[in-house]
Parts: sequence; C-alpha cells; structure tokens
Amino acid sequence: MATNHRIKSPVLKVDGVAISYETRYGDVEAVRDVSFNVRRAQTLGVVGESGCGKSTVAFGIVDFLGPNGKIVGGSIKFQGRELVGRSQKELRKLRGDQISMVYQDPMQALNPSVSIGDQLAEVLTVHRGISQEEAWRKSIDMLERVYMPDAANVMDRYPHQVSGGQQQRVVIAMALLNNPALLIMDEPTTALDVTVEAVVLDLIEDLKRDFDTAIVYITHDLGVVARVCDHVAVMYAGEIVERGPVEMIYGDSLHPYTQGLMRCVPKLGATKEGSILYPIRGRVPAPKNRPKGACIFAPRCDYATDRCHNERPLLREVECEHSARCFYAEEIDASAWKPPQGLVPDLLAQEAEEVDREPIIRVKNLKTYYEQESKSVLSLVGVGEKLYVKAVDEVSLEVPPGKTLGVVGESGCGKSTLAKTIVGLETPRDGEAEFLSFNLTKPVSKRDVELIRELQMVFQNPDSTMNPSYSVGKQISRPLQHFKAASPDKVHEEVIRLLNAVRLDGSYYDRLPRQLSGGEKQRVGIARAFASRPELVLCDEPVSALDVSVQAAVLNLLLEIQRQHGTTMMFIAHDLSVVRFFSDYVAVMYLGHIVEMGPAESIYAPPYHPYTEALLSAVPIPDPTAEQKHIRLEGTVPSAMNPPSGCTFHTRCPRRSMLPDGGKICETQVPPWRYNTDEHRIFCHIPLEELRKMDPVVTTR
Amino acid sequence: MAVSEQTIPKKIARPSRWQRLWEGVSVIFASKIGLVGLVIVLFWILVAIFAPLLTPYGPTEQDYTAQNAPPSAAHPLGTDSLGRDIWSRLIYGARVVLVILPVSENFWLPGGTALWGVFLGLLVGSTLGLMGGYLGGWVDEVVMRVLDAMMAFPVILLYMIIIAAVGASATNVVLAIAIVGIPGIARLVRSLALDIRTRDYIRAAETRGESPWYIMFVEILPNARGPIIIDAMLRVGYAIFAMGTLGFLGLGLPPPSPDWGSMVAKGRQFILSGSPWAALWPSVAIASLVVGLNLFADGLREESLRYQ
Amino acid sequence: MLVRDYMTRHPVMVDPQMSIVEAQGIMAEAKVRHLPVVGEGKRLVGLVTRERMRIPPTELASLNVWEITRFLSNMTIADVMMKRNEVITIDPDIPLEKAAQIMVENKVGSLPVLEEGVVAGIITETDLMAHLMEMLATRLPGVRVTIRMPNVKGELAKLIGAIGAQGWPIMACGGVRAPKEPDKWEAVVKIRGVPKDQVVAVLGRVEGQEIVDVREV
Repeated sequence: MATNHRIKSPVLKVDGVAISYETRYGDVEAVRDVSFNVRRAQTLGVVGESGCGKSTVAFGIVDFLGPNGKIVGGSIKFQGRELVGRSQKELRKLRGDQISMVYQDPMQALNPSVSIGDQLAEVLTVHRGISQEEAWRKSIDMLERVYMPDAANVMDRYPHQVSGGQQQRVVIAMALLNNPALLIMDEPTTALDVTVEAVVLDLIEDLKRDFDTAIVYITHDLGVVARVCDHVAVMYAGEIVERGPVEMIYGDSLHPYTQGLMRCVPKLGATKEGSILYPIRGRVPAPKNRPKGACIFAPRCDYATDRCHNERPLLREVECEHSARCFYAEEIDASAWKPPQGLVPDLLAQEAEEVDREPIIRVKNLKTYYEQESKSVLSLVGVGEKLYVKAVDEVSLEVPPGKTLGVVGESGCGKSTLAKTIVGLETPRDGEAEFLSFNLTKPVSKRDVELIRELQMVFQNPDSTMNPSYSVGKQISRPLQHFKAASPDKVHEEVIRLLNAVRLDGSYYDRLPRQLSGGEKQRVGIARAFASRPELVLCDEPVSALDVSVQAAVLNLLLEIQRQHGTTMMFIAHDLSVVRFFSDYVAVMYLGHIVEMGPAESIYAPPYHPYTEALLSAVPIPDPTAEQKHIRLEGTVPSAMNPPSGCTFHTRCPRRSMLPDGGKICETQVPPWRYNTDEHRIFCHIPLEELRKMDPVVTTR
Repeated sequence: MAVSEQTIPKKIARPSRWQRLWEGVSVIFASKIGLVGLVIVLFWILVAIFAPLLTPYGPTEQDYTAQNAPPSAAHPLGTDSLGRDIWSRLIYGARVVLVILPVSENFWLPGGTALWGVFLGLLVGSTLGLMGGYLGGWVDEVVMRVLDAMMAFPVILLYMIIIAAVGASATNVVLAIAIVGIPGIARLVRSLALDIRTRDYIRAAETRGESPWYIMFVEILPNARGPIIIDAMLRVGYAIFAMGTLGFLGLGLPPPSPDWGSMVAKGRQFILSGSPWAALWPSVAIASLVVGLNLFADGLREESLRYQ
Repeated sequence: MLVRDYMTRHPVMVDPQMSIVEAQGIMAEAKVRHLPVVGEGKRLVGLVTRERMRIPPTELASLNVWEITRFLSNMTIADVMMKRNEVITIDPDIPLEKAAQIMVENKVGSLPVLEEGVVAGIITETDLMAHLMEMLATRLPGVRVTIRMPNVKGELAKLIGAIGAQGWPIMACGGVRAPKEPDKWEAVVKIRGVPKDQVVAVLGRVEGQEIVDVREV
C-alpha cells in the first residue's frame, strides 16, 4: 500500500509534557520533558521500570490523572487539537469517539453484572445511535475479528465466565468497535500466562494492519516491545532517555540505561554465557530526589563524568529518528563494555570434578490433591462422590546436591503446590518423597526439627514476606535462635554476616520493613531462608514481582549464596527465560505433571515436548531480529478437577498429527517416558526419532 | 505490579522506642476530631485522679440544708435529694470507672472498672479470635458457635443476668463487661487473623516449624493491633454506657457509691418538679465521656488510614 | 484496488461548534486542506475546505476593523461548511477509478468515505495522483516505452507477448486511446534491468506498432 503520501503529521504529538502530583508535602514531579509523536498505523512502545512514569504519561494523555494529578507544562496535540486545558466534557467526547484505552486488568473495563454482548452493543448504541440488532451483529463481527472462539455464544455470557485471555480480547474488541484513531494500551498482557499472551500479541499485530490505528503501548517487558512495536521510547525516573525505531534501540542502543537494561533482561540464549544477567548498580531516585541540573542517570552510570553531574543533557537526535539524552551517546561503545569487578558471580569458573553423587532429594509419583466441596446433598451426609483438584499428579524428580532445578509452568500447573508439599505446607495424598534420609510426606507440624532446618523457602511477594512489626535484624535472628544455629552471644554477629552476604550493610539491622524497597525486602527474605544453612532452599517465584534490573541483582545473589554454601536449590518460575542462566536442570510442568525434564541445555534445544515447544515459541524475545517459531495453543487449560484422560495435554497438543491416526492413543493411554539421554526425558507418545527432527524454536542472527 | 525500587534515605536507622511513641502520639494530634475526643477523655481522667483536690466535699457527705439545690457558688452543679454535692459525686464516680478498681476492702488496682473490663475482654476475646481465625477447622466452628450463643443475648440482658447471678461489686462489673465484650472482640480479631494468615511471613514461620501459639501471638497479633486498639477504645465507651444503664436499673455498684447511673435513677423523680440537676449532670457526664472516646477512636482510625 | 485500501483512515476531523480560527490552526498543524465535520459518533454533517473559509469581502464591507475581528472570531465551522447534502461521499468498497470519476465529474478535491453514515476515511486528489504514480512505477528505475498500436483486439497481447518472450520483468503497464488519433491506442510499459537499445531493438520489430517515446528513468 502506498503510504508515502499519507498525512504525515502525527495522530498524537506530545511535546515537553510535565505532570505533577499534589501531596501533603507539596507538588511532586512525576514526569518531565516528555516528547514523542505517534503516526497512523505506528505502534510506539513506552518502556521503563516501575516508577519511571510511563503509566502517568498514558493517563495524562486522556486526563485520567485522578484528583491530585495535573499537567503542569507542555502540550498534547491529538489530530492537531490541543488536549491540555480542555474541559472534562470536551475530553470525554474525544475519548469516546477517537481515543480508546485498554488496561492491564480486563475487569477494570468490564462490568461484571452485564453480559458481554450488552456491553459491546452499548458502545455502538450510545456513541453511534444505531439499533440494538445492528449493534449486536457488529459486535459479533468484532469478536470474530479478535479470534474469539464461538463468538455468538460468548455474547450471552458474563465476564467471569470466560478466561482472562478471552476477557482481554473482549476489552480489545470494545476498544476497537468505534474505530479509534488512537489506542492506548497499558500493560495489557502482563497479567496473562505466556501462551495466552502470545495469542493476544498476535492479535494486536493483526489489528495494526487492518485498522491503521496509532497505538501507544506501555510495558516493562522488553520482549513484548520487540514483538509488537515499531518505535520505542525508553523512560527512566520520569524522563525519556532514548527514543527511536525498534531495531536501533535493540541493535545499537545509545543511552547507558538502555544498554544496561538490555544486559539484564533474561534471554533464551543458547549457552550459559549468552544468558548471564548483569544488573545495573544503584537505585532509582525517588521523585523528590531528582536533580534538576544534572543527568538523572549519572549516579548509576559507568561512563559518568563531571559534566554529567553538573549539567542536564537534552534529548537530542543522534542519528536519523534516533535520539538519546546523553552527552556521550556517540562515543559509548556498548560492545566494549566489561562488567565491573564483583558485579556478577563467576559463573564460568571451572566446576569441580563432577562426581556422580546420589540425589539429595528424590520424589516419586507424588500426588497432592485438594478436596473440593461438592454441592450435592449426598456429600453433606458424607456419602457423595468426592471432588478433587489434582494439583500435583504423579510427579517424580531428583536433584543432585549443590545443583539448581528450575520448575517452570503456567498458572494452574501445580508448581507452587509441589513446592508447598516438599516444604510441608501441604500433605501429599500418595507417593514417596525423600530428602537426606527424611521422609517428606509428612506435614511440617509432624517433622523433626533437623529436617525443617535443612529445608527452607524464599517467597514470592516482597511486600508480605516480612512481618511489618519487627525489625530486619529481629526477623533474621529468629531462625538462628529457633534452630539454635548460633549461640546466643553470636547471633548478632551472624545476622550482620548474613546481611553482608546479601549485600546489605549492618545499618539494616534496625530498620523496619516499610523502610525497605522491594528488592531489599527480598534480599532479607533470602538471608532469613539461608540463616540456618539449609541443605535445600525452595524459591517460589522470588523475582516475579521485581523490576528487571533488580531481578538480575537478586538472581545473581541467589547464585552467589548457593555457591558459597553449596546449597541445593529448587527454583519455581513461570518464565523459561528467567531460569535459563542459572539452572542446572529444568522441569516443565503442565496440569500437575512433569512433561519434560533434563539438564538446562537440553530443554532449550530439540527434541522438545510439544508443550515446551509451544512455551518457547510464546516467550517474547527481546530481539526484533530473532526468528521464533509461531506455535500457538488452542483453547484453555482444562480444569484440574477433571483432567483429560490419557495424556493431559492431548486437548491442545499441536503435534498430535505426527502420530498415526492423529494421535488417538493420546486420548486413551498415559504416555511413556522417552529418554533422550540419561538425564533428559520427555513424557510423550511421539517416538524420539520424530521429536529429534524438530527445528529449534529460536534462531538468533 | 512490579514493586518500586526507589531509594529510601540511608540515614534513618530504626526509630527508637521514644520516637515510635512520639510518632504514635503525633498521629493523634494530626486529627482535629481525635484531639477533641482526647481532650474530653483526659479531662475526666485528670479530674478523677485529682478528685480530692477539686472539691471540699466527699461524695457521700450529706447536707440536709441544701437538698435538690440548684447550682450555686457553694455547689457548682447543685445537690441531689440527700444534699450531696453533685460535682463531687461525679468526679468520685469517675474514679471507679476510669481510675481505680477496688478489688477488695484494702486492695485496689489502677485502671477503673471500664478499663479493666475491656482489657480482660481483649485478652480472652483475642485469644479466641486468633484460635478461630488461624487454626480454622473444627476449632473455628466451636469458637464461632460459642460466640454466636453469647451474641444471641441482648447486651443489657446479659449484663443483668451476670450481675444478678454474682452480685454487684466492682470486680463483678469488670467480669460482666469482659464477658459481654468477648464476642465482638473475638469476631474482629478472627477476621483480622483470617486475612493476615494468608501472608507470606506467616507461611515463612510455618516452614520454620514454629508452634501455632507462637504464630498467633508473636506473628499475627502485633499486626492487628491497630483495629483492635480502636475497637477497644469504643468498647470502653460502651462499657461506661452499660454501667450507666445498670446503675439506672438498680444493678450498679451498691449505694452509697457514686455510680453515675444510679445517680440518674435517683434523680429522675425530681426532674419535673424543678430540680433536674441530680439527673441532668450525670447524664451529661456519661454522654460526654462516651462521645469523647468515640471521637478519639475516629480520629485514630482516620489517621491510621491516611498513614497507609 | 478499492478505495478501502487507499483511503486515509482516521482523518483529522472537526465539530460544527469549533471556531474558524481553531480550524485553521488545525489545518496548518496537520497539513491538510479538507476537514470532514462530524457530530456524535463520527457521523458526517458537513465538509470544510480552505476555500470555504475565505469570506467574500462584500460581507465585511460595512464593518469597521473591530467589528471585523469580532465577526471573524465568532464564526464557527457551521457557518461556512458545506452541509451534508452538498457533500459528495462514497463507499469504501468501490473501485478507485470510480472515485476518480466522481471527483473529476463533480470537480471536487476530496471525497469523505462513509460506512453507514460514519466517517471511515477520506480520499483526496493527492491520494489518486499518488496512486497513479504507483501504478506506473514512477519511483523505480527502468526503461519507459510508449508504443502506439492500432486500436484492435490482440494488439496489446502481441506487445506483451513479445516482452514476455524475452523474459523481461514488466514493472508497469497502462494504456489509453491515443490523443489526436482515435483509432490508435498508446500503451506505456516500464521494463526493468534491460538496456534501452535492447528494448528499442526488440519492440521496434513488433508488427504494426511503433515506438513513440522511450526513455530511461
């Protein structure tokens, strides 16, 4: 299509915008000097970590800033018209017809008590004044456009009756019904599982082409940006620090912050060296501590000079359409960067001779079911059929001492329940589990102290991992006292040592949790778990709630501590790229079963279990030039109360056709374990030779 | 979604005990409503403590020459039917409620019946609530049914039954206040415990193999103290009100103890005949103290919410 | 090649209550010369162009300077726009040439594209000219040949056949009745990657046809 003659002026022109919030202590500047343009059919990704102001900018465009937020400077022109300073009435008219917004949580946009069809039709009847039947018909069309299966029936359902991914599709359909000129999406896929996210991203790419809408896409996920956006603006501490086409931002970034981000984003590298994560030292300054007369990134920058500390750089165009807010943008060579001493533990150090050692933990056919309350009258009396949520169903695994096992799966696969069973917070119904010489099938209340001491856990949510009423030092000393891991007079010393081991200095002893940042709280959680020097530490998604640069720091820390103490680790995650760089072994779970398990390299290369293959092709890769297979799973995860017979994956398996008569055997028989090597096994009916013929999912240039 | 990583100033070490106390106290000062409430409550406490200094008369001193007298220079609030100075009876009456608990002839405890009653109620109620909320299962069922049974009685009826059963003395009133308060406190603590037990730090304590009692009292309870304190404050108000009612019904502290409620009861008959003072002032006293406590609790709640 | 594929979606639009001054600003900012005027739900109510915003001097003749300013600043789009019934609109699913025909026959510079009364896009003269440019592969280098042939069935096929026999890539091809010679037809063909003399040599030999113009562009 000839686009060269199209209207060149942008749909959205943001120029020098500054937004502040009123607080008890005066005005706090959240965002300053933000400028960017978005043209028709262009997708601009606004990327940054938490607190950088990206959502504030998005809300500022439509003036959803809340009662205490205000735009204090700059201009926002939509289709040539100035938005700043307009009345609510005028803005509302514009928003309805020409600007739409999609949020992270679909339930923020959907009314739970109105059917989906009515909500969609309402958009048309209210704004366009067409008849109900007409609006209904158009809504069904739109639902089909967003690839909603069984669209006509979905119209009659209520939002809670469809899955999260489908809800998000409904919201996108609603946003597009009015054919808006500008679509703002605020982290629309962050709350979704990886495979569901992949489908929604595909949808967004398709819609771009068909509707010519200008899209502003807010996210913290560099992989998603690489897939969906053609231009990128990188934000840090309220400012745009780099802006340009997506290939240039990823291939040849100019600003040290962007370069730092690229280095700490988890990648699906082919080797361990390719997957090392390098954190950015230091921390984001709070809004009141942002200097007006210096480069805001200088304190954390490896290249900072005196000039950077005393003069504020402007966002200037360095190459065609590629701008950076740095004095030395042309001179900095990212490929010549070397990690400073001590930034990452020495991962590539030659490991000691691999002695064939007995696994330290062995689990066999473990089953943990949750009993579900049945609604029938019979069950009230105790005679009815019992319903179970089969959270963990026949799981077997082993881990040699000192190694890390990564357990990966999407929500509902049972990985958390597996961790809780091992730690003793849940009781298994069947199966064996042995650790050192202890039996793990007992709940924690019945376990020996020696066992409990050797098996500790790091939790997911930094805000709730610590008791808000006690100081940091007190909480770390508790396990030391409880397990008598140190004599009473040595406890304080040991706590300080542990704090230093997690890279916090002694002054943290007396601080309260509310005085710590997310990453620091997580570090204290790690110190607490390692206090009694356990033999096995389970980490339940410890970094999912943290920013990417903090994630890298905490992961490296875990690795370091593990090396120091020779601890064995089991690391639960939902993201295959996060576990890549430090897991020795990886297990992939689906609906209560392990479907593939083996040394890390073997999981990321063929042969794959079909589910692993789908997972790998769904993970957004932070490299717009990489080629990735496009395998998508149909349908949704079946209920764990009523899992499919035979191979639980058979309802969605894209590779069933590789078997004779389309994989009838998958429905009836439980698959066998196929051993690719001694340590790498796949749970599938497809014979190994066929699986070995698969191409790798990701090829980077 | 992602937790913010912004810097917290390095300088702040753990606030000392005094600093934390000051922080807590200054929270009160920040709310105007709370301040008004605090002033009223403090007024009564101070007046009760310094009672002997504030009036030349004893609470039981009778002056037959000035029965049902209106307020005058000699008797700022007037006298009752037996010629006793109302002001003196009020402030000495406040003593028993707020400041001193006479356990027996020669033994007294600081604190007053209302405060002790609520305190005992807190002890038992919190324990029950924690057990029900944290342990769940059949323990929770049993606790809840017991509480339901207790709550089935109208409050005043319960008070009356207890006092009628064990007699009216200061310690028995304390007991009654405690028993009546237990269900409400237990419910509150139970719902707080239900919420707090889902937190990861409780799970961390469980993976350490800590005993349930440790978890309930050391891990959960301190984090529930905010709402509990505010509720307790309100309960002191309810207790005072209940004591007033009991006194009015003749079940209060035995005469000639200056019980506000019985003061109202005795003075009631003289309202229409032109001497309302004996009934009026104690009523005002009860009302003001209850309102003061409510305002104070409101102020605390307002500030604690804003602080979050 | 339907209008749907070539129109500009999400055109810059204004509403009837907007002042002329503001509309002029928008035109300048967005660099457009035609503004559809829409009401609720993007329904077309009129069209405003740069010419419409010029007030004939006779209307202002009787006013003094201050009154003129007030008069002008109070004017809204509704006062100067073409009303809905005066605006010619088209459907997105009609062929591009039809749009061109409508524009030529009605002497208009732009056509709002409507779907059920709602503005879906706009197509302008410039769009059509750009389309012409693309159709003849104007931006790409090659040899451009104009050949005159009798206006008879099979002649064009003969020409294409001759080109095809050589295996040369045809980047563009168009034809019109020869201006000035009604029984002759002129075809314009653009060939890539072949030197001009070779083209001349081969096509000059096609029977009954003559090369009128050849150039390398």
